[in-house]
Amino acid sequence: MSQRKRVAAVGSQTKHFRRSQQVVLDEDDGDMSLTQPTSSQVQKARENFTPVQVDRKVAEVVQFILIKDQKKIPIRRADIAKHVIKEYKALYQDIMKRADRTFEQVFGLKLVEIDSKNHIYILVNKLQPVPGEPISMCPGNPKTGLLFVILSIIFMKGGTVKENVVWNTLKKLRVDVGEKHEDFGDVKKVIIDEFVRQKYLEYVRIPHTDPLEFEFRWGQRAEKEVSKMKVLEFIGELHNQEPQSWTQQYREATSVETSQR
Amino acid sequence: MSDSRRRVSRGSQEESASHANGMGGRSRPDRAADTGDEDDGAGPSGIHEEDDDPARRREIRSQYRDLINSVQQNREDMLNPANNKLIDVLEEFVHIAREAALDAQLLVLATDLGREKASQLHAEGSSFDPSAFAEHLLSFMGLNRLEEEEDDQDGCLYGYLPPDAWQRLSKRAEYCFRTAPSFHYMLGSFLAEPPPPRQRVERQRKAPSKEAKRMMPTQLKKMEESHQEATEKEVERILGCLQSYYSDDPQSPISYYEFVVDPASFSRTVENIFHTSFLIRDGLARIYLDDSKLPCIAPVEEGEVEPGGAAARHQCVISVSPASWREIIEAFEIKEALIPTPKTLTQEN
Repeated sequence: MSQRKRVAAVGSQTKHFRRSQQVVLDEDDGDMSLTQPTSSQVQKARENFTPVQVDRKVAEVVQFILIKDQKKIPIRRADIAKHVIKEYKALYQDIMKRADRTFEQVFGLKLVEIDSKNHIYILVNKLQPVPGEPISMCPGNPKTGLLFVILSIIFMKGGTVKENVVWNTLKKLRVDVGEKHEDFGDVKKVIIDEFVRQKYLEYVRIPHTDPLEFEFRWGQRAEKEVSKMKVLEFIGELHNQEPQSWTQQYREATSVETSQR
Repeated sequence: MSDSRRRVSRGSQEESASHANGMGGRSRPDRAADTGDEDDGAGPSGIHEEDDDPARRREIRSQYRDLINSVQQNREDMLNPANNKLIDVLEEFVHIAREAALDAQLLVLATDLGREKASQLHAEGSSFDPSAFAEHLLSFMGLNRLEEEEDDQDGCLYGYLPPDAWQRLSKRAEYCFRTAPSFHYMLGSFLAEPPPPRQRVERQRKAPSKEAKRMMPTQLKKMEESHQEATEKEVERILGCLQSYYSDDPQSPISYYEFVVDPASFSRTVENIFHTSFLIRDGLARIYLDDSKLPCIAPVEEGEVEPGGAAARHQCVISVSPASWREIIEAFEIKEALIPTPKTLTQEN
């Protein structure tokens, strides 16, 4: 079984896929049949299935996406089609629209497409976190802090950094990629494998470098899930400076904010 | 010199960050090319007389090589935003280029460095230094810096990070994210697992209890023996005392108080009362009230012992406190104990 279609546009170093992802291999076929059913096909499908059956399908899609989101690995439309929608293919648009509405109104979540070419989705929180109010009762996940540090460096350095900058800065924070860390274990694996697979980061090869060098960028999930303005504000707090003092970054943060509203 | 003219036209299309005009593609170091600093597009007319002198050209070439070497070796140094060595190099480069040969290798090197330095600059606003960022983060995470360390080479590898350092940072950093909370069933899934563990526990419990029971009796026996022995011995001893005192002078009654009280020790007094009570219980001694209604104690004669006999059996509870003990000593002027303590006995023996 050959592995076709790698995860979008990332020079990922993951050479092997997890078992659960091998089912993805036939996605090409599933994908093509999803595109543009004719209106008569849709009409016919609506007649074939009772509203109760369609309701059930919507609920199944919602549950599928919620479970898939646990590991924060983006969900392919093809997977949804193959494992849940199945014979209701023609009603895909209807079902997804209703699932969308369920997420927003019942859970306060938004289903966001982060890759319009390959149709990959993530769930983000519709509600803004309120400063002062605790976000969750759980103790903070240390990986969030680690990710924040890396995203900050990339953002403040203009959107791209050579990997060495990240490794060196982490070393100053007592996180040595060569050693096993108390909270993170194999740090390098967490960063270039887990975070990249979750689409928080991109780890891209720099062309024409010898020996091989890589650089980090914000991933597609980070672009949708992380607020650059809030990152800049926190960095300002740490440095005891106004966020506006970093004019270029401030400009970028405000333009993103307005475009996302 | 058509070659040089071609190179001039090609070169003028290039842009460089250096002060010199953008000239030259790849030229071999040996070739002397025309340069126009002030005289643009000088062409052949710009050939100086010195170019024809091989010695001069050699000198220029060696100056170039020196400059190239120094730039390559000091690359790191030059990239430091804090210094302007690159500008010095470029000034020197301009100086040489005006005289004679232009070395494109040096030019490429200089432009490359210039590009990197330019990318480090932000035309407006503060710069961002990852090292300073790291320091601020460490403070936020609650780093305890050790004051004594003066000779730190790396500068920041001393100090103690608390174990919840990263959680602290995460809790604050979470606000920058709009992460959807992970979905988990509240009550977990239903799996029938409890029965096997219970059996195991029961078996384990049974085994130790049997052994424990077996242990108990032997221990207890030993303890009771030792206790019983001690009490019996003591009681016998006291009986012996009583009998010897009585036999000394059978007619004079022995005051109970004088008999049991030990003026030196309250606890001995209590023990004496305790042991004497066994004598009374067993019928080996009797307490009676004399004419003054004070209690007296006397051993029972051999023949008089009547187990469970007609003699009136009374019971009484005796209590004594340190205060009353002292009162008795005062009242009866008890100077010494009639029942000697075991130690003194052995000494006598």
